Amino acid sequence: MTATVSAPPSAPAGPDTGVARVSRWRRGRSGVLIAALSIALVVVTIVSAGRGQLQIPPAEVVGSILHRLDANLEWVLRQIGVTADLPLDVGPRPEHVQGENTLWLVRFPRVVLALLVGAALATAGALMQGVFGNPLAEPAIVGVSPGAAVGASLVFVTGANFLGEWTVAVAAFATGLVTTLLVYALSRSGGRTEVVTLVLTGVAVTAVAFAIVAFATFVATPEAREQIVFWQLGSLNGARWQAVVAVLPFMVVGLALAIGMARSLDLLALGERSARHLGVHVERLRLVAIAAVAMLVGSGVAFAGVIGFVGLVVPHLIRMIAGPGHRVLLPASALGGALLLVSADLVARTAIRYADLPLGMLTALVGGPLFFWLLRRTRTSQGGWA
Amino acid sequence: MTRTEVRRGWAAVRRGHRLPATPVAGSIASEAAGVSVTLGGARVLDDVSVEARAGEVLALVGPNGAGKSTLLSALTGDVAVSAGTVTLDGATLTAWSATEAAMRRAVLLQQVRLSFPFTVAEVVEMGRAPWAGTPLEDGDDEAVRSALAEADVASFAGRRFTSLSGGEQARVALARVLAQRTGVLLLDEPTAALDLRHQELVLGVARTRAAAGVAVVVVLHDLNLAAAHADRVAVLAGGRLVATGSPREVLGGALLTDVYEHDVEVIAHPRTGAPVILPRR
Repeated sequence: MTATVSAPPSAPAGPDTGVARVSRWRRGRSGVLIAALSIALVVVTIVSAGRGQLQIPPAEVVGSILHRLDANLEWVLRQIGVTADLPLDVGPRPEHVQGENTLWLVRFPRVVLALLVGAALATAGALMQGVFGNPLAEPAIVGVSPGAAVGASLVFVTGANFLGEWTVAVAAFATGLVTTLLVYALSRSGGRTEVVTLVLTGVAVTAVAFAIVAFATFVATPEAREQIVFWQLGSLNGARWQAVVAVLPFMVVGLALAIGMARSLDLLALGERSARHLGVHVERLRLVAIAAVAMLVGSGVAFAGVIGFVGLVVPHLIRMIAGPGHRVLLPASALGGALLLVSADLVARTAIRYADLPLGMLTALVGGPLFFWLLRRTRTSQGGWA
Repeated sequence: MTRTEVRRGWAAVRRGHRLPATPVAGSIASEAAGVSVTLGGARVLDDVSVEARAGEVLALVGPNGAGKSTLLSALTGDVAVSAGTVTLDGATLTAWSATEAAMRRAVLLQQVRLSFPFTVAEVVEMGRAPWAGTPLEDGDDEAVRSALAEADVASFAGRRFTSLSGGEQARVALARVLAQRTGVLLLDEPTAALDLRHQELVLGVARTRAAAGVAVVVVLHDLNLAAAHADRVAVLAGGRLVATGSPREVLGGALLTDVYEHDVEVIAHPRTGAPVILPRR
């Protein structure tokens, strides 16, 4: 059933058509982007780990990492009966007596958590925008962050302590997840979800969530009130390895789900009906996407508080550089979000001596104007989104 | 067993999808039998039966609100039927998975939209999605290239879809549907936004596909286009099937005057003898 027609004179023929050229160019550009983001992320991570009240040069940071890596790998090899002296233990070790401890107990967990949370927020943003076919969609739409704020503020107010130091994180994650499921369940009717209904349900549920947070703030003791306010400003202060370990599985599953959906999300850009005609199970895709967003954002927010604009700005920037295809957009957004949040956290820690600025404030301060500029640019170059 | 059959069988095992067989000319590729559709309490389609045959262009015509698009939606499975059955490639539509249905029928909707600024080539490549992971994936590049040429959009394959005019976008959407290479093509007013040359081009493509064994169902408002390009015409009015048959049988002045509630005259074209439909002014 192959139909052949004589191509009109304007159509190029032969193997090297515009199609092949364009897609090769896009692929090349995407490869460069991913590589550049990866390198930048590694550099910023190493530099960031060395900065702070105790300055450690990047070479010593690398040396310390390589030393640990070498020792651990040799230990693993010994467990399986191989005694080897790996040649990884190169580079200078931190000179300061507290250098190693500062790096491994304070800096690295914080930097790694920033990296994970940034990747999660940006990926979740790209996911939401793809699912709703709207470049302005944000995880906040389905109520993850407002829901998490309810759990966190109630813990602060009641002084509940059922899980020790984990209480706030677990409560925030749980209420974030429940709120998202509530929004989704309320907006479904007849086995289908309309996008506008979902967004408006999100507005309604978010309003109630903010009311609960406001009430909690009102009745709280001055000390608890301070905790609620600072939690909502977002911070990675006091991050430890346990937090990293707790967040990691959610991040991995969320990212894997997201990247598995990439091709279907491309098709969804054609609209629900056309996507279905191309074999996409739209309802299932949407449910999985929302679950992934709840996991990514919920686990991040649980430990870092509310951090806005990462999910809005990063995917938008990536789309400008590499185009809207989700197979590149999702991994590149993860890298870009990680890079952005590691950088922002470096500023938060070091901009003012002996002060830890709120991270959410910084991302909004930079993200707001940047997003406005991106909007203007997209509008002039593509005639808007219609 | 031919080599193609072996490859198809292997792919079906690997992905769990039943791949379509090559259609036999004249066989029923898709059918609505006694279909009724109720939307918001109103019966918009009442006991309609049409069949799309391989190798044939079937035009659905009728006044606004006659139920043409609803009938097409019933054939695609977008609206649930309250009575009757819809079949595709010999089985009930619901028996196929979304991907299996996508391997058998491609749909061009009236309204074309795209949420993100993909390029024309990327949009057309999306038409190949159902074949991902099957041996037919090897034909992706060729299918995309010939679809771009058929819809006359190859010259701007690298441009962003969102920067195109309405007519250009409509043709890109058509190219995407053609790239899907299915045995059934369902086109909802593919000529609405197009100039005269491209109207002829699009229906010419529909004819070419039909000649290659595809069953084409096309909703048309322009009765002259239907008269010139369709093998069979189904006339709908008020949710009912009024008449079906060859253009010369069906497109008569009396019937059209009745259906469109406007005086219509039909004259034979002096050269070809095909019916030419004109409202009496």
